[in-house]
Amino acid sequence: MASDVILVIVVGTALAFDFTNGFHDTANVVATAISTRAVPPRLAVTLASMLNFVGAFVSLKVAATVGKGIVDPGHIAGSHGMTIVFAGLVGAIAWNLATWWFGLPSSSSHALIGGLVGSALAASGTAAVDGNGLLSKVVVPALIAPVLAFAVAGVAILVIYRIVGRLRPGLVTRGFKLGQLGSAGLLALSHGTNDAQKTMGILTLALVAHGDISADKFAVPQWVVISAAGSIALGTYSGGWRIIKTMGSRIIKMDAAQGFAAQGAGSAVILAASHFGYPLSTTHVINGGIMGAGAAKRLSAVRWGVAGNIVVAWILTLPCAAAGGALVYGVTRIFGKGVTGPIVVSVLILIASFMLFTRRARGTAAAAVPA
Amino acid sequence: MSAASIVDWGALGKVVLYSVVAGVGVPAIYGLAVLGAARSTDAQRARRGGPATAYALLALLGGVACLVAIAYGIVVMTQKS
Repeated sequence: MASDVILVIVVGTALAFDFTNGFHDTANVVATAISTRAVPPRLAVTLASMLNFVGAFVSLKVAATVGKGIVDPGHIAGSHGMTIVFAGLVGAIAWNLATWWFGLPSSSSHALIGGLVGSALAASGTAAVDGNGLLSKVVVPALIAPVLAFAVAGVAILVIYRIVGRLRPGLVTRGFKLGQLGSAGLLALSHGTNDAQKTMGILTLALVAHGDISADKFAVPQWVVISAAGSIALGTYSGGWRIIKTMGSRIIKMDAAQGFAAQGAGSAVILAASHFGYPLSTTHVINGGIMGAGAAKRLSAVRWGVAGNIVVAWILTLPCAAAGGALVYGVTRIFGKGVTGPIVVSVLILIASFMLFTRRARGTAAAAVPA
Repeated sequence: MSAASIVDWGALGKVVLYSVVAGVGVPAIYGLAVLGAARSTDAQRARRGGPATAYALLALLGGVACLVAIAYGIVVMTQKS
């Protein structure tokens, strides 16, 4: 009975994380298209939400990687295992909410992996974590991806300016706004494919711990796919406007060609990496692309202070989410091995989230009142 | 165990190569499509039928090539499952 209750809590928390993932990462897909006015904001978010939902059904390979490639499923068993998953999820949600509060586009994927690694380390020590998998599948790609996107977007925009530089600006802008529809659509689809699967992997890991699924036959149930797809789509539709503002206008002031180059380079890097099995952070790639498209035009076009804050948030994501996951695991253990700990932490995180959203909503409403 | 033996540098090299080819190539082709559309419009206004048709063809081919690239991207996504 207690393990059933913990499973329900873990499923609810995983779907809540998926919602924050969509909410947090809406900006990855729509910020450049909104900033260049290629698509009206609400329409952009609606289309991104729909394509995120569809994208979640495209592939299940990343789900398997997250479910068994980072943390050893052998150490995630029974109620104790589900508590580890729960603590990791709460650590990731807390980091996502904190970075959303400051309008920083950090990686939800790294928050999830960090949270899970932290809680597993706190619970079972280093034996529970696949260090090689973490290094080869997360850390090294995290270093390469944004630099690669930066370089590719930079070269792409220089080539584009070379081709269209002498044309009338109005026609060129209209042409690249049209192009952004295609590149944004591809980004939304790949985002749904990559990110919804991470929650599917975590949910399946919890079902393995609960004994519903064999660890040897790691298959994602259909209800998990549908609920994860729905949750990330709903989060995307809700739109993290603070991060959209940061990415769309605070890093660089973008023209349509730069937006197209950033999205095109981002799509190319994400798809090439996914094809070879590297679960990249879409956030890192798109932000790298935006900075590259800006810097290639003029180095001073990039607001390096904002870019620096974003990079610091990237560096802090894995360790901070891990510390959060470990801390939450420790708090749940204060209440013993039963269901009390997860219930208490769930109530606390719900209250904290409610206060955060209410305070932000008040702030937004106050800002909207004319002086 | 060293990082060199854990990380598959060959696969990462291919990621870099494919990213550069697709990430620069597709925007460049789309840029040519925009160039074709703009020049075709100008040629039509100047009542120069030959260049207008040639530039329109460039715009069409560039646009189709980009649509094919998007379709290929979707195929790549489905193939990783």
